[in-house]
Amino acid sequence: MPTINLRGAQKNYGVNSANAVSNLDLEIRDGEFMCLLGPSGCGKTTTLRMIAGLENLSGGEIRIGDRVVDSIFDGVFVPPEKREMGLVFQSYALWPHLTIERNTDFGLRLRKLPKAEREARVEKVMQALDIAKYRDRYPSQLSGGQQQRVALARMLAVNPGVLLLDEPLSNLDARLRLEMRAELKRLHKEFKTTIVFVTHDQWEAMTLATTIAVMNEGTLQQMGTPNDIYDRPANRFVAEFVGSPPINILSFDKKDTSDVAKEAETYLSSRYPSLRGIGSVGIRPEALSYATKKEDVPQGSFSGKMVVTGILPTGGSWILELRSDSHTLFLTTHALPRLELGEKVRFFAPPDALHVFDKDGQRITEADKLLRSAKLN
Amino acid sequence: MAFLSEPTKAAPAVGDGASAVPSSWQVWRYRLKVASREPTTLIGVLTALLFTYLIVVPIISIVLDAVRVQFGHERRLGKDFGDLTLYYLDRTFTSPVSVDLFWRPLFNTLSVAVGAILLSLLIGTTLAWLISRTDMFGRRWFATALIVPYMLPAWTFALAWTTLFKNRTVGGQPGWFEALGWTPPDWVAYGRFPITIILALHYTPFVILLFGSALRRFDSQLEDSARILGAKRYQVAMQIILPLMRPALMSSMILIFAKCLGEFGVPYVLGLPVKFEVLSTSLFRSIASRQTGVAGVVAASIMLIGIITLMIDARLVREARRFVTIGSKGSMNRQSRLGKLRLPATGFAATIFMLSVGLPLLTLFLSTIMKLPAQFTLDNFTLDYWIGRDLHTVALQTGVLLSPDLWAAAKNTLMIVGLASVASGILGLLVGYVVIRTPVRALSVYLRQVTFLPYLVPGIAFAAAYLSLFAVPRGPMPALYGTVTILVLALMADQMPYASRAGISAMTQLGKDPEEAAQIAGAGWFRRMMSIVIPIQKGSLVTGVLLPFISGIKGLSLFVILAVPSTDVLTTYSLRLVDYHYTQAANAVVLIIAAIAYLGTLAAQKLTKTNLAEGLGS
Repeated sequence: MPTINLRGAQKNYGVNSANAVSNLDLEIRDGEFMCLLGPSGCGKTTTLRMIAGLENLSGGEIRIGDRVVDSIFDGVFVPPEKREMGLVFQSYALWPHLTIERNTDFGLRLRKLPKAEREARVEKVMQALDIAKYRDRYPSQLSGGQQQRVALARMLAVNPGVLLLDEPLSNLDARLRLEMRAELKRLHKEFKTTIVFVTHDQWEAMTLATTIAVMNEGTLQQMGTPNDIYDRPANRFVAEFVGSPPINILSFDKKDTSDVAKEAETYLSSRYPSLRGIGSVGIRPEALSYATKKEDVPQGSFSGKMVVTGILPTGGSWILELRSDSHTLFLTTHALPRLELGEKVRFFAPPDALHVFDKDGQRITEADKLLRSAKLN
Repeated sequence: MAFLSEPTKAAPAVGDGASAVPSSWQVWRYRLKVASREPTTLIGVLTALLFTYLIVVPIISIVLDAVRVQFGHERRLGKDFGDLTLYYLDRTFTSPVSVDLFWRPLFNTLSVAVGAILLSLLIGTTLAWLISRTDMFGRRWFATALIVPYMLPAWTFALAWTTLFKNRTVGGQPGWFEALGWTPPDWVAYGRFPITIILALHYTPFVILLFGSALRRFDSQLEDSARILGAKRYQVAMQIILPLMRPALMSSMILIFAKCLGEFGVPYVLGLPVKFEVLSTSLFRSIASRQTGVAGVVAASIMLIGIITLMIDARLVREARRFVTIGSKGSMNRQSRLGKLRLPATGFAATIFMLSVGLPLLTLFLSTIMKLPAQFTLDNFTLDYWIGRDLHTVALQTGVLLSPDLWAAAKNTLMIVGLASVASGILGLLVGYVVIRTPVRALSVYLRQVTFLPYLVPGIAFAAAYLSLFAVPRGPMPALYGTVTILVLALMADQMPYASRAGISAMTQLGKDPEEAAQIAGAGWFRRMMSIVIPIQKGSLVTGVLLPFISGIKGLSLFVILAVPSTDVLTTYSLRLVDYHYTQAANAVVLIIAAIAYLGTLAAQKLTKTNLAEGLGS
């Protein structure tokens, strides 16, 4: 499948309503496994449906390769049935009145393939997804996970150039979800289709995607590899949305600066006087360490004194809740913390663990270079 | 539709262009392209035009009748035919005859309705509570049995009542009590009292269904929370249960009121002998005496009252939504133990069943096999009225089953009602599809509202509207009065609220997904309709045909105005038999209608596995 290109894509439902998607530029290359990630209502499903042609644009255009499939300017709208895509719905949308085999067969019949080929292809996907034994059943007789496979098989049977998935795993229980994730990754390799996957689950996005596009309030926040998104969030929204427990944010707001944030401000301004206009600093919980003695804190790291107010085991790791007079930090550790509640500890983080954002919440990229070089000193 | 899909074309230099604001011409061109891609909108426009003609135009026509000089009044009013005039308004509302034409019938309508509402609320809430929240004997059975009165035509009860209580005021065969030597006073035999009682019994199922379902949905945990906080039983009832039940109560009250407003058969049978008129019979009289202008005013007034009432209801329903308690897991309802009252409670339910179903049906049936009323000797029983030959009567010399008139009427009924319900069922599904799917919101809103409009207009007023529009040739349309066509059209339009509602709710439940999945798989519009939408909606299509059919079979008010002897249907046929005092035959026909309606309802329920509550109001 050639590259799918959204340019300035826009969608609003009604003239006076806010944009569900505004001015979205997105490029999906052949063979990519792209995740659209964001909180509910961020426009990710709308984006997916625009690509499929189930929603028309209110502005901008969509191309597949060189072909314009949707554009207000050119007055072009290619309907979904002519876009040769596959879409797996969140509800699966299996046709209740058709058997599993007929569900899978539906698209092939429309394409008027010879019977022998149809049967061979149906057989192949049913085998691949392990649903061949249910061929004569009706959707209502299958479990959620099985229905999910049928929904996938139905779309894979026609061998679409791109497979769109709208939160397909959200209705499954935790174990099945894990299995299906692995399954999807395998299918991506086996069928070599481009996949666009909508989810609000960051772990799903992290584990599956080759590229993640984080969206919020109808706009694209950041697009990059899972590591990019996690290690170099482009703004505070991305930083706070991705990661659990969530990133610790120290905000330098004049009215609302906590004691820990003041320390961070002093730390940064004394060492890097060239940095200006810092609005906030983020530190991921697992980038924080703690020490009970001052000597154990490495030179040059950002540190401070706090009280342990909570020790939460999460199975294999622990989340520590640390408090000062006006701030709470979360810290993740993999070693059993030998601490008492109420004990005073020092937290510390290496300078390159600090994510620096300006007053508008955008990442200050110059700070990255400075902080990274600082570590070498 | 190949011409609509864009062939691959060289990419123009869009670049910045894409982020520019499209001109309004471009936006319109694009929208047109999207809308014309599928016939949904076209179908929507066509159905909208059809219903405008079948629903809106007749209503406008009768309202215009009310303010324009009618044929025959030119000389008296010194104006030309069709000129604007206030004469009819004046005559109906302020002249000396206005009391008889409008005010007294209005007062009678209101008093009967209020009486019926109070009585049915009293009986209905008690029964609903007994059925859904107590350990009364035979709850399940009563839950179905007590709904039966609603499946029967209301004037079945009126005929049963006259069979029992008819006195010497009216000629013909006397009632049973009269025959037994006790003359029931007029107020018992005719007029306000029996009409109120009968309407109350007929509409009690409304309350049982609406209030009962609200009670069942009521989450016991709400009650429990109050109890745990120390509320006494009566405090729970007054402060928790009653406020939450109020919307259901109000809603059933208003529905009953709207129904009473259009009720024709019962006041016609029981009111006429003592000149007890309600709005619907007054309208009928105006039409029968060719007072077209006055009829227009009365019909418009009935419509206006109907519309106001149902607008109040719509508002209440909206407000009631705030009360929807989401209790999925814990919404189990607990049964109250009746203890010593268990038997009396069961007795009460049984009595109501006997009064509202058993007694009327039994009376009617016995009356059809007895020569003289209330004489229970063996030689008095006969099957002559059903299957006899060479009876010594002026007309109808055979039993009713052998009379060609009955079969002609039955054939007419099946044809007219069948045609109308098939048409309205299919149109209903189409309307549902368009309403849910069209991207043109104005069209969706218009279709939804216009097909709902007949619901606000009592059948008798709607029939009057049809008469006003189609009695004379207009434009290319010939005069339809006296034809089967007008009956089919009127019945179809009258049933559209139920048909379109069924269609809309079916399409809403179906959701977009299955159809969109087919679209993604490559199916065009027609293919999607044939292999996805219609097969899935088979059940609701059957309901959409059956429910109008049942309600059409027992319907009277439309036919009584629009039917002529050659287009006689079962209901009008039996009404004429009543007029000619062929009591036994009339009762036999009514029993046949009741049986068809009842069995039809059961069949619809079985077939579609739906509850009657869904077809409520039809």
